[in-house]
Amino acid sequence: MTTDEQPRDAPTNATDAPDIETGRYLYCIVQANEDATLETTGIDGESVSVVTEDGIGAVVHDCDSLYDSADLTQIQHWLVRHQTVVDAAGQAFGTPVPFQFDTILRGDDTRLREWLREESETLRPVLSELADHWEYRIEVVEFDAPDDRTLVEQDDRLAELDEQIADASEGQAFLLEKQFEQRLTELRTARRETMAAELEADLAETVREVHTLERSPASDIADVARAEGETGAEGGDDAETLCRLTVLAHEDDEDAVGSILDGVAAEDGLEVRFTGPWPPYTFAPELGTDPDGQNGDPTGVGTDMGPL
Amino acid sequence: MSTINVGDGDDARQGLVTLVITVVELLIDALEREAVRRMESGNLSDEEIDRLGQQLATIEAEIEQLKADEGIEDGVDDLRGDLDGLVSDAIEQLDTDSTPRHAPGYSVFGGENS
Repeated sequence: MTTDEQPRDAPTNATDAPDIETGRYLYCIVQANEDATLETTGIDGESVSVVTEDGIGAVVHDCDSLYDSADLTQIQHWLVRHQTVVDAAGQAFGTPVPFQFDTILRGDDTRLREWLREESETLRPVLSELADHWEYRIEVVEFDAPDDRTLVEQDDRLAELDEQIADASEGQAFLLEKQFEQRLTELRTARRETMAAELEADLAETVREVHTLERSPASDIADVARAEGETGAEGGDDAETLCRLTVLAHEDDEDAVGSILDGVAAEDGLEVRFTGPWPPYTFAPELGTDPDGQNGDPTGVGTDMGPL
Repeated sequence: MSTINVGDGDDARQGLVTLVITVVELLIDALEREAVRRMESGNLSDEEIDRLGQQLATIEAEIEQLKADEGIEDGVDDLRGDLDGLVSDAIEQLDTDSTPRHAPGYSVFGGENS
């Protein structure tokens, strides 16, 4: 059983692959002056340049086709390279507005400058709002969650069901066990949600924005790395992710976020994984619309490719 | 997840059995919840409750046996997980309504052709 998103792996002679000829592969948008340069190597060893227009710079390389491959390792290398360039741009120019992998603008540098001019009303406020703000990812993992017995001791309803099961006929016991399991699931979910909500509320007082992520990422490039390299590096079977959050915080507030998390990590059996600063992948707003009328959103909005 | 791939050739049979068993399991889950609800309602005699529970227990045991025989325990679990994800996505889309999420893949914009 496998699930497929879309036939990305189709050979490039497939009819739906757009024709590009001359294009600029976009890494990110930054605040930069005319003479800005960036010393780094792009995807596939391409040389990266900064094209600027009135204080706004696009970090790009020249390209003439999509980056498409059936080889996961190849794609992973591209993704890592993409992120490395965005990180380098962030260090050189301050918080970048990142684009999603494989975002390409048709045309040459002149066309790109034109696009920057067209979009400057959107880009300028976004850049200044995000300036000095970074994305941080937080995952709270619990080891040794309370076992069923502990929960029975704490919950009257469970204790009651437990007693009834002992005295019930075979068929009735089966149904009561189902009820028992349902109640257990409810309690565990409620407990998890309470903890997550408390943490979220604490963080919200310090950071600009908090987002809740899926507890288990749908796709995580770290999985690819794990599958290929060392296995089982983290987490045993009894480790459960309580919540995954991503926050947008001013760089001066990083320590404050850290001390909130220290409080959580101090609790027995809880471990906090805190990564960052990342370019604000989750918090970059949607930019531009596609004149082709298909993929309307060229930014990295909502992609889960931030932390490796 | 937009498609369920049951595989082809030799895989197809196992894929299809996995799909069928998954659907049957979901049905049994629903039946069990309904049975619990009726037991709670107090309208069933002890005898009826016992019979209902035993029947469901038998069905569940049969399904477990079938999964073990076919070697599809993991396949069924994975598919149920995928279906959960599908339902969550659907709910999220109802919540936010608006435009469909940008599918993973490439974005090409600007330019004159097409």
